[in-house]
Amino acid sequence: MASTSKAEKAYIQSSLLSDPPLRADGRGLIDFRTIALESGIAPIANGSARVSIGRNAQDGGGGTEVVAAAKLEVESVGDGEGVDGGRVACSVSCSPTAYPLLSPNALDDLQHDMTSVLNATLSHPTIRPTNLGIIPGMKSWLLNLDIIVFSDAGNIFDAIFMAARAALWDTKVPITKSVQYRAKKGETQAMDVDTDETALVGSALDTRQTIQVADFELPDYWDEGVPLDGRQAWPVCLTLNLLPTLHFLDATLQEEASVPLKLLVFYSFPSDATPLLRGMRLLGTGASDLTQVKSLLKDGEKYARNVWVALEGKLKDEDFRRNQKARERFLNR
Amino acid sequence: MSSRIELLNAGLLRSDGRRPYELRTLAINFAPQGTADGSVTYSHGLTQVRVSVLGPHEPKQGTRRETFHDRATLNVEVQLAPFGVGERRRRGRSDKRLLELAASIKSTFEPVVQTHLYPRSTIDIFVHVLQLDGGLLPACINASTLALATAGIPLFDFVCAISGGVYGTQPLLDLTTVEENDVPSVVVGVMPRTGRVTLVQMETRLHMDRFEEVFRVACDAGKVLWSEMRDALRERTGDLVDKLEAGPGMVVAKETEETYD
Repeated sequence: MASTSKAEKAYIQSSLLSDPPLRADGRGLIDFRTIALESGIAPIANGSARVSIGRNAQDGGGGTEVVAAAKLEVESVGDGEGVDGGRVACSVSCSPTAYPLLSPNALDDLQHDMTSVLNATLSHPTIRPTNLGIIPGMKSWLLNLDIIVFSDAGNIFDAIFMAARAALWDTKVPITKSVQYRAKKGETQAMDVDTDETALVGSALDTRQTIQVADFELPDYWDEGVPLDGRQAWPVCLTLNLLPTLHFLDATLQEEASVPLKLLVFYSFPSDATPLLRGMRLLGTGASDLTQVKSLLKDGEKYARNVWVALEGKLKDEDFRRNQKARERFLNR
Repeated sequence: MSSRIELLNAGLLRSDGRRPYELRTLAINFAPQGTADGSVTYSHGLTQVRVSVLGPHEPKQGTRRETFHDRATLNVEVQLAPFGVGERRRRGRSDKRLLELAASIKSTFEPVVQTHLYPRSTIDIFVHVLQLDGGLLPACINASTLALATAGIPLFDFVCAISGGVYGTQPLLDLTTVEENDVPSVVVGVMPRTGRVTLVQMETRLHMDRFEEVFRVACDAGKVLWSEMRDALRERTGDLVDKLEAGPGMVVAKETEETYD
């Protein structure tokens, strides 16, 4: 994105390839810049997070900044796009501030590229949370994950996936109660509202076989809810920037412009199973071979695990800060 | 008892507990954003906008036709975060309401920015609406004023905008979404130093006899906003000056000055 001259590129490449490798900000090849994360930043959304990579600590400026927010809406299954059991739809939009040199059309293309990478990984049915259904075969939640890129100082995909994971981790699905309408015995006018809790348990006298659930209600206050099921499963992204014979992480814009090839790997690390590779993308003009990709996947897994562990810790911290501490503050006020 | 929200009760309190002329909380944050020359995150009550100003710079490829030989052009783009409004709806770049909003902002600032100083160049104002609870246009305009000022672009004056309405016969200031939906409203943008008005926008009907009262109150409120905005800018400039003095080069310069004395 940044306009980098040939000489500048060659300079960056040769310093990366020198021994020991040199980077403009003094980092090692596999060092990240500082990452800051905050969740719960959009009060109207069901879950939200802001992630910044390499923000200047003094004035809070610079660096890559991404905001993600998840919003749930009810969708009917059957007519239209609704899917039984709910679905996840992702979109990425870029603020023109992030890419001031791009024309509006080029910005649209870029947004589309980012959306497709995110959608292919997060909207996949194998990773769909199980508690997005409301009434089987009739209503379900559509989870809209909207991501806004406010500024890009390199390594945008890692930031997007981290923000997405944090926002989805933070998402609360409202508790719903299925409702059934049926005529009372003997009277045809009056309708009786019956909730499924009593209907499903059923008394010994009840001989009805099937229960036709017609609608649902929200028993709780709207912002109460349960976390998304399987929120541990959302993957993290790791970008390996490939310069022949070496790779490095967390590239700045100039470094990104001077490498021919980037490999994105999406990993998730379930606590009880082997690591899952959720997808990979090779971006750029260069080419790679199978043996190289194999070794890169192995390295990528190692780095991604570090990112995963750090992110998991931070998310638990955020949960603690927002729930338990807030409650204590409320009580001690 | 109707189920509608009572906008103003007998004790002259509004639905959110404010008095008729009371404004919502204002928060102004000047943290830099990306490569922008001036940027502001402006929260007014539950409405929150981010504005970045880039420029003045050479126009982008392809837009060179729209430049003028004697002054700079203002390029305003407004984006709305899909999660910031009650009903989620994706609004594209070509959404009519956003284009209209951008056009209002542009026409408000064209007489205020000293564009004649930068011929053949462009000044970009990028507005990002993060949360929406009434008073969108005033928030965008106030934030743009501050962002332009932080970007160091010469202005003739501030523009301070505020929305006003009338409930019954009682003028109200700074409407929320609930009030905006029910009450005739007008947006007024004033230039407080000169006392001129650059913007009056009204999309609803309002009785002639009431208009003047609302208009006067809104103009006064603009001056109140001005003092807040001016204080925020002064504080930021003060911080910058402190930082300049804290730099290592400045200490040396001071010492040498002293030796010359």
